Amino acid sequence: MKTGFFDIENWKEIGATLARNKTRTFLTAFGIFWGTAMLAMLLGGAKGLEAMLRKNFEGFATNSAVLAPNRRTISYQGFNKGTSWSLTNSDIKAIRKIPGIDAVAPTTTNMAGKMTVSSGKHSTTADVQGVDQDFVKVFLPNIIEGRFINESDVVHRQKNVILGRNIANKIFPDGNALGQFVNLSGIYYKVIGIAYQEAEVNINGSKIDDQVTMPMSTLAQAFNLGENVGGTMLTAIPGTSPTELKPRIFRAIRASHPIAPDDDQAMFFFDVSEQFAMVDNLFLGITLLAFFVGIGTLIAGIIGVGNIMWVIVKERTTEIGIRRAIGAKPIDIVTQILSEGVALTTIAGIAGISFASAVLGITTEMTHTDFQMSFFQAIGIVTVFMILGIGASIIPSLKSMKIKPIEAINDK
Amino acid sequence: MITLHDINKTYPGIVPLHVLRDVNLHIDKGELVSIMGASGSGKSTLLNILGILDNYDSGEYWLDGVLIKNLSENRSAELRNKMIGFVFQSFNLINYKDALENVALPLFYQGVSRRKRRKLAMEQLDKLGLADRAHHLPGELSGGQKQRVALARALITNPSIILADEPTGALDSKTSREVMQIFRELNAEQNMTIIIVTHDPAVGEQTNRIIRILDGQIALR
Repeated sequence: MKTGFFDIENWKEIGATLARNKTRTFLTAFGIFWGTAMLAMLLGGAKGLEAMLRKNFEGFATNSAVLAPNRRTISYQGFNKGTSWSLTNSDIKAIRKIPGIDAVAPTTTNMAGKMTVSSGKHSTTADVQGVDQDFVKVFLPNIIEGRFINESDVVHRQKNVILGRNIANKIFPDGNALGQFVNLSGIYYKVIGIAYQEAEVNINGSKIDDQVTMPMSTLAQAFNLGENVGGTMLTAIPGTSPTELKPRIFRAIRASHPIAPDDDQAMFFFDVSEQFAMVDNLFLGITLLAFFVGIGTLIAGIIGVGNIMWVIVKERTTEIGIRRAIGAKPIDIVTQILSEGVALTTIAGIAGISFASAVLGITTEMTHTDFQMSFFQAIGIVTVFMILGIGASIIPSLKSMKIKPIEAINDK
Repeated sequence: MITLHDINKTYPGIVPLHVLRDVNLHIDKGELVSIMGASGSGKSTLLNILGILDNYDSGEYWLDGVLIKNLSENRSAELRNKMIGFVFQSFNLINYKDALENVALPLFYQGVSRRKRRKLAMEQLDKLGLADRAHHLPGELSGGQKQRVALARALITNPSIILADEPTGALDSKTSREVMQIFRELNAEQNMTIIIVTHDPAVGEQTNRIIRILDGQIALR
């Protein structure tokens, strides 16, 4: 094609025609602008909210559950309604044997609330928890320095502790906690690691950031807990949900504890995988909604473009006729009309995506959660818009192609 | 330059309208002719056919040695661009382009570079005494000036014929005479073939030959 799409005349003309009715051009462009911005912001918003919610469970195995004793709600075998019972190490062993169980991670506290932790002249209070080596299979904390509790610590009842980062900062302000000793009720423990967690979930009273974590066996010995265990977390093997294993777990517990067969309330069972599934469904829904609303706004904008191109073609019938009379080919006219539609869509679309990107960027800064769309997502949205913009301009430009040069002469 | 041989044109409809009946016409190179006829006589249809703006049903139309028959849209646009310079009653300038851009437009559709087409357009405007109006929009020009810009646009592709449709219809008598004077000069000095469609006898008198058309046929004197 000789008569260029890239010829400066073509672009001057586009500018001139779009500038001729500024209000109309602005309103049409605003439709596109808002359509792109809406779509991008809704998608970004859905993604950010999901990230925020998922952050609550960061580090948790998705296929996991939490089990803990509750008070009896039905009197049974001489134990009144309202009495309590305790999980024991033998329950843990029994649960480990259930087919379909992957990891069982019992945890316990000192059963006495916050304790004073000190080193030299610095001291603070903290929740103390005991865990075994399987803890990390269910919930993986972030280790800043050192290591977490391992099997050897548990078997040999090592007096090793992991300090939460807030605790470490308080009693070792100089930051050299690793390898030092802390005093907990008169017993000295060696600091072997410093940890924190992303998740918003508290285990044993607080986040790991504010806890002192030690081998469960060491904790039981130091605080005379005997065989009792506070509770346990567990994971099921892939393909099995913890809820499916719940009846077998409850049966194993009832085998050694006097709990009524229909008293399921006596055992607290929280299936984390159901929460994950819920979040998944929720955000599938929100994302679909975002798409529907966004695409709807988008289509409204695109129809606006098609409409305006139609009006422009109608208005310029005489002019197009003149051009045809002095030698413009149908393709020249189509190129011109299409270029106008594309220019309008592209400029407004890029403005919209930039606006959405700025809004999402500010939100990301403020919430520390990633709301921002990716570069390719942004390019994708603008591209889809351009293609639709071309599509919407096709009907009017085909109409423009049918305008006969005679119209220039007849229209006196 | 132009030969029409047994041209027939019928507009279909419930009552088909046979507007041109066996029209035979010959116009030589360098002629200045006018086509006159009452409204409804078929002169507009004849103009459309001569200008390759419309098809005819039967016969042959030869323009500068080219048979103009059953052409595609693209081919007829190309021939219009190269062989015919149009001048219209209502000037038909594009109102948001200045005089220079209007004159250069036919070259744009030939794919001539911007620099070259602006240079040629400027020369053409200069010939018609409009150099100082090159950057005025049509709205800022008088009727006579607009028609001269339109004439410059018609001439810029160096066409085989100039086809003018009531070129003085929108002008006062003084300006009409000026425009006709330009036509006559073009014809005399550059041997340009010019066909003027008009119903104004005063215009007809200034041409070298008057072709009268009556009820779709060339009227014999």
